[in-house]
Amino acid sequence: MDAPACQHHWVMINVSFGFVAFETCYHCGGTRTFFTTEQTPLLREKYREGDHYWNRVENAQSFQFELHCHRCYRREKFEDLMGLLHCTGCRAECAIDVLRRRYESEGKWVLVAFGFLPDAHVPPQPIPEEKLRMLSEYFNQRRRAGRAPVVVVPFTLIPDTSLCFGDFLHDVGMLSQEPPGERRPLL
Amino acid sequence: MTTQDLIDQAELKPLSRFAHRDVEGVFISDMVSDVMALAQPGNLWLTIQTHKSIIPAANLVDVAAIVITGGKEVPAETIDLASKYDVAILSTSRSTFEMAGQLYKLGLGGEQTK
Repeated sequence: MDAPACQHHWVMINVSFGFVAFETCYHCGGTRTFFTTEQTPLLREKYREGDHYWNRVENAQSFQFELHCHRCYRREKFEDLMGLLHCTGCRAECAIDVLRRRYESEGKWVLVAFGFLPDAHVPPQPIPEEKLRMLSEYFNQRRRAGRAPVVVVPFTLIPDTSLCFGDFLHDVGMLSQEPPGERRPLL
Repeated sequence: MTTQDLIDQAELKPLSRFAHRDVEGVFISDMVSDVMALAQPGNLWLTIQTHKSIIPAANLVDVAAIVITGGKEVPAETIDLASKYDVAILSTSRSTFEMAGQLYKLGLGGEQTK
């Protein structure tokens, strides 16, 4: 007989602070992203790697973590999560915006989970549905008051990420001392 | 202590519409990654950040309120988003350092709920 499924209760462990680095190849125009724990990541650092000439165009302060169920001791690493994005409703026909409006009417908050861009001209890597469910569970289990529950959805619902103007929950362009820059497409 | 008590005792100005709630501990940071990783539900978040990305971060962690220090002006889009999702934004002209001192005197030490 199968053991009853655990009603997971997640805690965040093994938090590692670092940066999500964005690099573009000035030869082919491709972009890639990765997490780095470099102490002082340099912007505009250029180097060659195979056919690509990479240029570091952004370093966004971020972190990586694991979720740990303290009931069944399951652990899950989220090394594949580049970040969470807040939908700004920039395109009414986008499936994410349709979801956002539907969930908003139910008093829920939609966040979009993005995977990394592993290499130039390779699409972002999807994050398994089960891990998205874990993330939603984790955030909602911590809530006290009746504030809007969170629903984490996959970025793969965005029809064209190059047209997305959502806001990543990263520390880049966050300082209000900085002059406001022109908004750019996501990727 | 509740957000209403804090408004009364620490002379904080509410900027968004929200339901009052209990406050447990204080978290100070100007980085959303810090908040998402380390802040605890019920914390009061002191920051000078006013970008609207602070609202989903505050909601994710379920902080009791965001306190914008230094009298910084908060954009209308940040306040609107906070009101929409019942996130409290409070404002003070005091510096983060002064505000932390006052909160400590009011009995809100640096303890964080675990």
